[in-house]
Amino acid sequence: MERTGEPIWELIDIIKDFPGVRANDKVSIKLYPSEIHGLVGENGSGKSTLTKTLSGAHQPDSGEIRLYGELIRLDNPIVARHHGIATVFQEFSLVPTLTVAENIYLGQLPTRPGVPIVDWKKMREGAVGILAGLEIGIDPEVIVGNLPVAEQQLVEIAKAISADASMIILDEPTTALGIAEIEHLHGLLRRMKQQGRAILYVSHRLDEVVEIVDVVTILKDSRVVSTAEESKIEIEYIVGKMVGEEIKEHYPKVTNTSDTPILEVRDMWSEYRVNGVSFSLLHGEVFGLGGVLGSGRTEIARALFGIDPLTRGQIRLNDRLVEFHSPQDAIRAGLAFVPENRKFDGLFFNFQGRQNITIANLRALLHNGLLDLGKERNVSLSYIDRLQITPDADRKFVNFLSGGNQQKVIIARWLYSGADVFILDEPTQGLDIGAKIAVYNLINKITAQNKAVIFISSDHDELLAMSDRIGVVRSGKIVDIVDAKKLDKTELVRSSSGGS
Amino acid sequence: MKSFLESQLVGPLAAMILVTVIVALTTERFLDANNLGNLTLQVSIVALTAIGSTIVIFTAGIDLSPGSAIALLTMVFAVTVKFWAVPFGLAVVFILLLGAFLGAINGFLTAYMRIPAFITTLAALSAFRGMAFMFNKGSPVFSVSRLLDPLFYGKVLGIPLPLYYVVFFYALAALLMRYTRLGRQIYAVGGNPSAARLSGIDVKRVQLFAFIIAGFMAAVGALLMAARLNSGSPNYGVGLELKAIAAAVIGGASLFGGRGNVLSTLIGALTITIVQNGLNLNAVPTSIQNVVIGLIIVIAVAIDMWREEISLIFQRLIPSRNP
Repeated sequence: MERTGEPIWELIDIIKDFPGVRANDKVSIKLYPSEIHGLVGENGSGKSTLTKTLSGAHQPDSGEIRLYGELIRLDNPIVARHHGIATVFQEFSLVPTLTVAENIYLGQLPTRPGVPIVDWKKMREGAVGILAGLEIGIDPEVIVGNLPVAEQQLVEIAKAISADASMIILDEPTTALGIAEIEHLHGLLRRMKQQGRAILYVSHRLDEVVEIVDVVTILKDSRVVSTAEESKIEIEYIVGKMVGEEIKEHYPKVTNTSDTPILEVRDMWSEYRVNGVSFSLLHGEVFGLGGVLGSGRTEIARALFGIDPLTRGQIRLNDRLVEFHSPQDAIRAGLAFVPENRKFDGLFFNFQGRQNITIANLRALLHNGLLDLGKERNVSLSYIDRLQITPDADRKFVNFLSGGNQQKVIIARWLYSGADVFILDEPTQGLDIGAKIAVYNLINKITAQNKAVIFISSDHDELLAMSDRIGVVRSGKIVDIVDAKKLDKTELVRSSSGGS
Repeated sequence: MKSFLESQLVGPLAAMILVTVIVALTTERFLDANNLGNLTLQVSIVALTAIGSTIVIFTAGIDLSPGSAIALLTMVFAVTVKFWAVPFGLAVVFILLLGAFLGAINGFLTAYMRIPAFITTLAALSAFRGMAFMFNKGSPVFSVSRLLDPLFYGKVLGIPLPLYYVVFFYALAALLMRYTRLGRQIYAVGGNPSAARLSGIDVKRVQLFAFIIAGFMAAVGALLMAARLNSGSPNYGVGLELKAIAAAVIGGASLFGGRGNVLSTLIGALTITIVQNGLNLNAVPTSIQNVVIGLIIVIAVAIDMWREEISLIFQRLIPSRNP
């Protein structure tokens, strides 16, 4: 794509080495005002290193950083900030017990002239101004912890750009957001772009990338494989460059659905936003749950799995009435739950891959009342082989595994537990393309064994492609069940956001 | 080589050897056969109690109560045997069960009433000690039973009995942690309680069991304590909980839970006992000894807290071959 004018920032031939690995290898990128510049690549391709170099957190081993053509050093994040670079990192840096205004001014609280006393009035007015300038309709007096995650993300952005930033870096800003919030964020980015700012947008969600960016730089193996000038803003093009080969089947869906139900849910209610859910799940089927953030998809999963108690309703499993008072009951009956947040709810970081795989079915390892550790090893190796997990996973602590391998370890856990019904809550979140496809293939493997999957995803393309039927969830209720093939993305978005 | 470096026994063992060498070089009577015999007797009560403290720490809990529990249990034991004429064997069994019951109270309050373990067991530290004073008008009971002395001073094959207890219970604890479902679940609950629950583990029950084990081991310690001077006293076991926790932490148990090896707690117990023994032999006053134990605990916990940074330093020293 042709670009005119002068870039604000220029990174030229940046090389950055870490012990044993070159994270950036002669990476160059030009960032123009009034432009949203996408930066994509698989995990480990060097995106984070590059953004950290520009935000002053890393020092390049060689290469130049130029601001309006002038050579410059960004010795630390404070220097970078002074030069107008604002960074919104993936992890929140907000203090949940403070107000929005306090968070925005954290570390730079305005004081009354001459005395070290906070000038609350000035702070409030300043916060109102910043929020209004970004058209964010959040009360600056609200405690941050009481805001929904999506709004916290907006506060995070407001905080980052409260300084007069000419360059804004966003690292995976939409991970926690639902459709409506992403729309809102994109609106915000477009406004900031119109104000003449340069924006560097790092994301895994390519459907969003192609929607919002003007140009895109693609990294692979620490190098630029397609510059902003060359790149086409098309998913197929980007994926091809990222992976380095033509991906024929982005969504390798295999249909295994039957017509006998495995699970029937009738009029299920819980105290946590499940308001009369009914559906049936067929053997070999992938039943998708679509809906906006906070629509109650995860809560439906929690109620099914015995985490939140039911206040009403019936669940039948293989034609037998069941009641789950705890996850234990659900697991014993053959349910499995891959939670949305694998770090907090899924993985045991004090265990190696091996113990992570066997933990939900230790009973099967018992021999004369004691764990048969030899058998455990064989179980672990066999699942690692079957699921094509990295062979190190067996003896490596899971924090040293990639996100994709971690997710496979959790799925292996449930395959070993002998589950028939898999509830997968955002199973591909934060994974790169290759790992996503591996998860899709596992879903196919599960359904090929006549087992069934309840699939929750905020990635609508993925949800449409991998599901057989989709239940549209709104306010804790399944308002519509449709054949995934007969639905397209705009219809799904419209019906899940409540339009007609 | 790598597994050797990663092995959890190496650090604590190195620390113990270092301490032993220092004490042996500075104190001539340390290597005396008599003193070494004393040392094994001294270490036994801390070491046995520390098994329970360690297992509670594995679940990411903490037990501050065993010192007081021991005082209460020695008093109950002395009174039942001496004044109520309960048969000796029966009283021993009763004390072990009572210890487990005291642990169960801690466990119930922590797991089911969701009171933080620190508070529950701090309260128990006070309450158990108070209850100990309710027996025999708060006075120690001496000359409990002729059958009691051999429990502590008896020898088999020339080796003092407490050493057998230590070996037996550590073997049992190692077996529990490595080869049983409960042991694995204890690590899982300590490592990630939320993931443990979603993996079908009854987290509360596991926490309860850990405290029951701790109470039982305190009772084992109490019986030895009673046997040592053939007495029960409400003043026994003051500060013992700290030594037991220190033994666990020096042994490498993480206070965050989920990590550690119960066998290295024995190394930890030996380390502090050797330090204390060395200070004793050099006639260092108790006040200073207490300060030293405090310092050791702080250092051991600091190592635990900085574990990640320390392992990062090691990773930098040993360049990785495959990035």
